[in-house]
Amino acid sequence: MVKKYTSMAYAKADDMLFGNSKYPVKAGLGLEIGAGYTTPELNYAPRPQAGKSKDKLVKEYERITTDAMARMVQIGAPSIVLETEHVEQMSNNPDWGGAVAHAQKTIMEEYHDEYGIKCALRHTIGDIREDRDYLQLRGDKYSTFMEAFEQCAQNGADLLSVESMGGKEVFDYSILRNDTAGILFGIGVLGSMDMEMVWSDIADIAKKNGVVAAGDTDCAQANTAMFIAGGLLDKNLAHTIAIVARAISAGRSLCAYEAGATGPGKDCGYENTIIKSIAGVPIAQEGKTSTCAHSDLMGNLTMQCCDLWSNESVEYHGEFGGTTVQCWSETLAYDCAMMNTSLKLGKAKDLRDILTLSDKYRDPQGYVLAYDNAYKVGEAIAKNGDNNYLRTKAAAIECCNIVEEGINSGKLKLTRFETNALAKVKADLEALTDDADKFMSDNLTKFKQEVAVFKTENYGL
Amino acid sequence: MLDLTLEDIDGILVRYNVALEKEMTPDEAAEELYPKDELIYPIAKAIYEGEEDDVVDALKAAIDAGKKPIDLINDALMIGMGVVSQLYDEGIIFLPNVMMSADAMLNGIEYCKSQTTEVPAPKGKVVCHVAEGDVHDIGKNIVAALLRAAGYDVTDLGRDVPVDEVIEIVEKEKPMMLTGTALMTTTMYAFKEINDKLLEKGIKLPFACGGGAVNQDFVAQYDLGVYGEEASDAVKIADAIIASGDDIEKLREEFHKH
Repeated sequence: MVKKYTSMAYAKADDMLFGNSKYPVKAGLGLEIGAGYTTPELNYAPRPQAGKSKDKLVKEYERITTDAMARMVQIGAPSIVLETEHVEQMSNNPDWGGAVAHAQKTIMEEYHDEYGIKCALRHTIGDIREDRDYLQLRGDKYSTFMEAFEQCAQNGADLLSVESMGGKEVFDYSILRNDTAGILFGIGVLGSMDMEMVWSDIADIAKKNGVVAAGDTDCAQANTAMFIAGGLLDKNLAHTIAIVARAISAGRSLCAYEAGATGPGKDCGYENTIIKSIAGVPIAQEGKTSTCAHSDLMGNLTMQCCDLWSNESVEYHGEFGGTTVQCWSETLAYDCAMMNTSLKLGKAKDLRDILTLSDKYRDPQGYVLAYDNAYKVGEAIAKNGDNNYLRTKAAAIECCNIVEEGINSGKLKLTRFETNALAKVKADLEALTDDADKFMSDNLTKFKQEVAVFKTENYGL
Repeated sequence: MLDLTLEDIDGILVRYNVALEKEMTPDEAAEELYPKDELIYPIAKAIYEGEEDDVVDALKAAIDAGKKPIDLINDALMIGMGVVSQLYDEGIIFLPNVMMSADAMLNGIEYCKSQTTEVPAPKGKVVCHVAEGDVHDIGKNIVAALLRAAGYDVTDLGRDVPVDEVIEIVEKEKPMMLTGTALMTTTMYAFKEINDKLLEKGIKLPFACGGGAVNQDFVAQYDLGVYGEEASDAVKIADAIIASGDDIEKLREEFHKH
């Protein structure tokens, strides 16, 4: 059994700030994350052809690593985290991931030895627990999945992460049908159950190898909702529903820390400010400097409480200013220099509020994730912390209340479509049972019938 | 924390979407588009509302009144779905509404088929797949549902589909179009392999690609590639092929926007 969070790490929202976490994490070569300064976290993807062989992939990552480290030294950046999100070839063949980690860390050690730059390597293993037709969360691939973590930990990765997929089969079906109970069941119940299993094992591997279990993100679900929702003119999904999915996702991502992870949470976990308020762990975030990967209506706000500042992902290729990893790491480093300067000058809270306010009223997603409101969602989770269903339901209802308050204040202006979708999702939530066992039983019955690819054995049910 | 005044906010962001919002509610807009025929109207309305049981009830009533089940597919179900598609294209309703309508329409088609021995004629056949190595299929599922809802016969190969299997099915099914989706850069390279193998076999058909990391520049690198920025572009590309043929250069002129 994992120990659940039932109280808040911070006494009040105003205590949360970028570059500072309640429980900083030492990692890699001289780095301490959340210990009074922010650090850029560069993320990249190899070119399509590089996946053809192990040698080609290792060489590609060697180029990426050398380019990035060299640029950081060229501009005088004091620290850097490199994040290698595995392509499927690396997770399905754990020795490939291990070889890449070893090659990267060797280069990083050379730069650290020569220049003293503080640095760490995050490897994010791909969730490969699927075959063509079904999620196989507990099937044959689980041992390969864990071996991939082991190989990376043994060969140089300092931080272990994953974007796990538990609950996605029910979520994908539900989000396209405005099925509120299904969204809650997929993310809050099934996803949380899977997280508890996966992260107990990852934490054990990290402990055994003396590295850091860094955390998960509900990318597969909450970011899918955010991505489908798109910009203000898109009509693919109500943004009010996307933020409810996000509030639910905080309860799910929190499970990693309850199982032994210590952070920094993954950059694309937009739920991370909520998590930080409850768990006090350092977090990575992405925003305006990740527009190379996607658009999200929260370019500045997400910087409010970050400890690592990420670009999400960029394909490795040439630009006028150098390779993409050089250009984006430089941009990240200047962002971090700005935050770190404000910390030195005692102006950090003002900068934090400016960053937050520049996006807070842009969209219901930014409104709820603004640190003051994110803290309220955190409180709703902690109050119901012992039960995965009840805490995610409470987070979802609190999220709806916060958006309503924003609308009533006149500052958060939404279209009729968005307010109608909010009214529906809130009514759906309020109609749900408070009996967690009944919710489980009802939804198991329903989704076994409606979602052909939903296998209860994936969740030990 | 610091805060902005109500007046300050207007200088920081512009709510184009609120300013542009249509006066009519979606239901009112749909009402204007429904066919007037009293037997067809409830079918189209039930499709718009995504109510599967109501669709079947309305179809039963129309068949009892003398309508041929096979005719109702094109003359009622497709008409209802046309209302949904138009409202979606105009930004009046959301994608989940379309998906629920598509479910209801496919249910209706099955019911019509169960009431007759006649075989409905699809607009054309499309093969859909997710690239080898990639298990992210929500985009492909949207593409397949929208194509089916638009009257196309879809062969859905699922996700993580080996290149050779795609070639084999295309040879066997002879579709008018192939679609491919991918989330990651290293998996989308499979699209180029499919392109090359199809050309080696002398097979030329539009290969509509999109999703996550897929971009127009990459798709334009291979001869058969047509880039779709949105899932709904798959239907528009298929319709363009029906209307004006499968000349890939012409399709690129229309759909390559950047």
